[in-house]
Amino acid sequence: MQLTLKKNKTSKQLLWIGIVSIVMFFAGLTSAYIVRKAEGGWLEFEMPVWFTISTVAIVASSALLLFAAQNARAGRSATNLLLGTLAIGVFFTYSQVQGWDDLVAQGVYLTGEGSNASGSFIYALTLMHLLHLIGGLIALGITAVKSKQGKYTKDNYLGIQLTSIYWHFLGILWLYLFLFFTYA
Amino acid sequence: MSEHHKETFLTKYIFSLDHKMIAKQFLITGMFMGVVGMTMSILFRLQLSNPGESFAVLEFFLGEKWAPGGVLDPNMYLSLVTMHGTILVFWVLTAGLTGTFANFLIPLQIGARDMASGFMNMLSYWFFFAATLVLMYSLFVESGPAAAGWTIYPPLSALPQAIPGSGLGQDLWLIAITLFVVSSLLGGLNYIVTILNLRTKGMSMSRLPLTIWALLIVAILGVLSFPVLLSCALLLIFDRSFGTSFYLSDIIINGEALHNTGGSPILFEHLFWFLGHPEVYIILLPALGIVSEVISVNSRKPIFGYKAMVGALIVIAFLSFVVWGHHMFITGMDPFLGSVFTFTTLLIAIPSAVKVFNYLATLWRANIRFTPAMLFAIAFVSTFITGGLTGLILGDSALDINIHDTYFVVGHFHIVMGVSAIYGMLAGVYHWFPKMYGRMMNKKLGYFHFWVTFISAYGVFFPMHFLGLAGLPRRYYTNSAFPMFDGLTDINEVITFFAIIGGLVQLLFIFNFFYSIFKGTKASENPWKSNTLEWTTPVERIHGNWPGEIPSVERWPYDYSKPGADEDFIPQNVPLKEGETEH
Amino acid sequence: MESILVGLIILLSVIVLVQLLRVNELISEVKNEDPNEITEKDNNTQGILTFLIVGVLFLAFVLWQFKYWGIHILPPASSLHGATIDTLMNVTLGLIIFVFFLTQPVLAWFSFKYRGLKNSAAYYYPHNNKLEVIWTVVPTLVLTPLIIYGLNVWNDITNADTTNSKVIELYAKQFNWTARYAGEDNSLGKANYKLVKGLNELGVDMEDENAGDDIITREVHLVIDQPVLLKMRSQDVIHSAFLPHFRVQMNCVPGMTTQFGFTPTQTTAEMKEQEGEDFEFVLLCNKICGAAHYNMKMKFIVESQEEYDTWMASQKTLKNTLTLN
Repeated sequence: MQLTLKKNKTSKQLLWIGIVSIVMFFAGLTSAYIVRKAEGGWLEFEMPVWFTISTVAIVASSALLLFAAQNARAGRSATNLLLGTLAIGVFFTYSQVQGWDDLVAQGVYLTGEGSNASGSFIYALTLMHLLHLIGGLIALGITAVKSKQGKYTKDNYLGIQLTSIYWHFLGILWLYLFLFFTYA
Repeated sequence: MSEHHKETFLTKYIFSLDHKMIAKQFLITGMFMGVVGMTMSILFRLQLSNPGESFAVLEFFLGEKWAPGGVLDPNMYLSLVTMHGTILVFWVLTAGLTGTFANFLIPLQIGARDMASGFMNMLSYWFFFAATLVLMYSLFVESGPAAAGWTIYPPLSALPQAIPGSGLGQDLWLIAITLFVVSSLLGGLNYIVTILNLRTKGMSMSRLPLTIWALLIVAILGVLSFPVLLSCALLLIFDRSFGTSFYLSDIIINGEALHNTGGSPILFEHLFWFLGHPEVYIILLPALGIVSEVISVNSRKPIFGYKAMVGALIVIAFLSFVVWGHHMFITGMDPFLGSVFTFTTLLIAIPSAVKVFNYLATLWRANIRFTPAMLFAIAFVSTFITGGLTGLILGDSALDINIHDTYFVVGHFHIVMGVSAIYGMLAGVYHWFPKMYGRMMNKKLGYFHFWVTFISAYGVFFPMHFLGLAGLPRRYYTNSAFPMFDGLTDINEVITFFAIIGGLVQLLFIFNFFYSIFKGTKASENPWKSNTLEWTTPVERIHGNWPGEIPSVERWPYDYSKPGADEDFIPQNVPLKEGETEH
Repeated sequence: MESILVGLIILLSVIVLVQLLRVNELISEVKNEDPNEITEKDNNTQGILTFLIVGVLFLAFVLWQFKYWGIHILPPASSLHGATIDTLMNVTLGLIIFVFFLTQPVLAWFSFKYRGLKNSAAYYYPHNNKLEVIWTVVPTLVLTPLIIYGLNVWNDITNADTTNSKVIELYAKQFNWTARYAGEDNSLGKANYKLVKGLNELGVDMEDENAGDDIITREVHLVIDQPVLLKMRSQDVIHSAFLPHFRVQMNCVPGMTTQFGFTPTQTTAEMKEQEGEDFEFVLLCNKICGAAHYNMKMKFIVESQEEYDTWMASQKTLKNTLTLN
């Protein structure tokens, strides 16, 4: 018991420090964005509606995941809620791709003649966020399977806790990026 | 965790989860890369002292394509310089040094069975190994390895038309460095969490050996700065592969005008050096930690000013994040910003001076035992002083104008972080070899290795200051294009002579290393009469580090020659005597 | 064949080394001692060696280098601001050399003096707050004026008034330099990289009214004691315009313009007298830029107003070059 507690604590710490390094990664990219924008020659454009839909989706998925963790804590099955979160996560991915389509339709390109750094940045940043999110989807999938197999108990549902921390972090990261693009 | 599984060759030596084995994997890979990087430097030194002359050895290593008739090709010269820097900075002095000693020492010195996550630790090594393979592979591609300098400033690194090495070679370089960063992050996370959580009973932070303090701070620096390198590299990858314009603007290359506008190479430099400068301390701090430990043990005296030593480490680490601009004084940056960076940079001299004086105070009235490790530690103090002092010139923006990117810089950073960190690493290997392999390294070869290394290292790098003060730029294939440098030939010959001697003697060290693994005399449990916990475990390798209970810690690690004690050392697990104060 | 021979030699030397070590160990075994234990004799020998090599040989080598290689150090600056850099450099160097010759001998002396001999013991001395405060405060007190002095020099150089300076553009590309004088109006015509074509190798916009009188040259002539403002551009990768004799250096970055202003204080003729007939002021590239990085140069000539006027009169303006040809 003592040992599992210790293990849980170290696992969470590993994840938190990992999150710190991801924050530094995005801090590097967004400060590059600010520096580059200050130099001028910056194309302003409308944020695609699909990105707003993404925002709603990821907030909803986080809410579902909160209920999933609550179920696990109470000893009830969290499987369905985890699968729900996963489904919304997949929808988020779809909405991101739709958002890129919107951007292209507006004439904002990643690269090539007529592309602008502001467009390149938005593609690069959302792509990087999406790559991290795919990691989250895989984690959600694994947790859902394990939950189905009954591997989590009231006293030990570390997998769900870790996945939750990471997924909520991705949600907050997306909110940050969304607000950053809209107001920065 | 302490149960013994049956180990196969594969789980014991290859996919090992044991921190001691992973440490050895890092060490041996690092040593291999060290030999590769050193050989490269000797190859380009031959060209620098004897420009345009034919050497069979150049043709032997580089082939007809890159050394036609035994004369080094200018593009290959730049590739060698680039790969030498990359290998030494990242592969040898980051992974080879931290990977080895963080893995080996952290669990043993804090009293833990293993790292917080053995699996992540193994992954860390295998990412490093994959990075090594990719980097080595890039040496053999048709257009040659990366050639834009280890700092890979775009546009040079972004345009294959500008230099052949910026083709496939640069792609592989970027892949290798990405794998490398992942490896460093996996390692760093583990080190931090292990030190924070798995200390044995009684091992408070104020009883941590300085090695562990240094490694903890290094891991924090790495976790904060390596991701920024990754974001910097990511945008370069986008520019190279997808044609974006983050770093590129208004370029005509080979008569072709590129479409990119609005990008800024200076942005790259800011992002790069935000990592790049902490990286210097990621290299240096583990060496400082090792040297503190080795000097104290072999002086038979407590390290002088333990708290000041820890404080200085923290201050240096903090300052390292706010000085990156001193690499960019002459990029046309805002002069006020230049002033700020000058100020913060020169401040680093204060904690550095404190460390030097504390080392000297430790040696004062000591009872020095001259192991080869101790000699390397003393030499470290010498090079740290020499290289640190010239930093006062380079950190001063006004003085930097005329010596920026000259050989003065090459001399400075090779002494202060190259040679110093190598000395720290060698001191560590000599000191902990008995714990790693249960045998002693040959002492006479060790002495010989040390003295030849010491003399040749100063012989190589001290004269470079004079080349720099004569105005000679670095990364010149030859200085014969400018008559003003004609008088420098004799200096260059001296440097190359010492480089060859210094390189050869490292082979002797490697011989000693492998000979001693198999044939060295058997070591006792605590051959240096040291206080720290790693010397309380038996010589035999145990998965889980201690056969029974982990010893608990009762005192700080530096009780050497304490008055009233029977011997001149008191291990950390010996309880305080009645009426004894801690220190 | 050769590589087989080399391989054999390496193999043989390894075998010889192994045998030597074995013999050494056997002798120790006969004497009944541990060959790798650090003895008092070792401490004595290595302590003395440390003193001789770190404390004497190394420091002698440093002095020797100053004596024999010091002559290669650049001559005193040939520019106004360069002289202030030189003074700052001398002050800093003096301080560094002083500290160097203070600490290195102490290190060597302590290592020797306190080598472990029979019956010697170490003194338990874990800390002394007073001492530590002293050697934190003293470096701070020494550094503070040095930092302020350095910042003053830096500010004077970077904030120099350039309103009356003659404007000259330095244009870098793989692997040569081109200069463009701003001409009569002392104002450079606009340029755009898309306009680089044929004779218009700097991409000057001829529509711009400031462009016609610009003059493109392959070497730079300067008038003694007249301030100039160099404006740098690059066509392809980062280069760095380095004029070591004038203590001038500035990166040339594609996509932006950088600048450095200075005033030459010695003519080429004076320098030839002082440094020898072969002397020339040169512009070097000091940022890795490709295969011929080492060979990217341009001559700078400092001369009197009359000589300069004569030379300038023989140069063609851009309007002439681009329209008449």
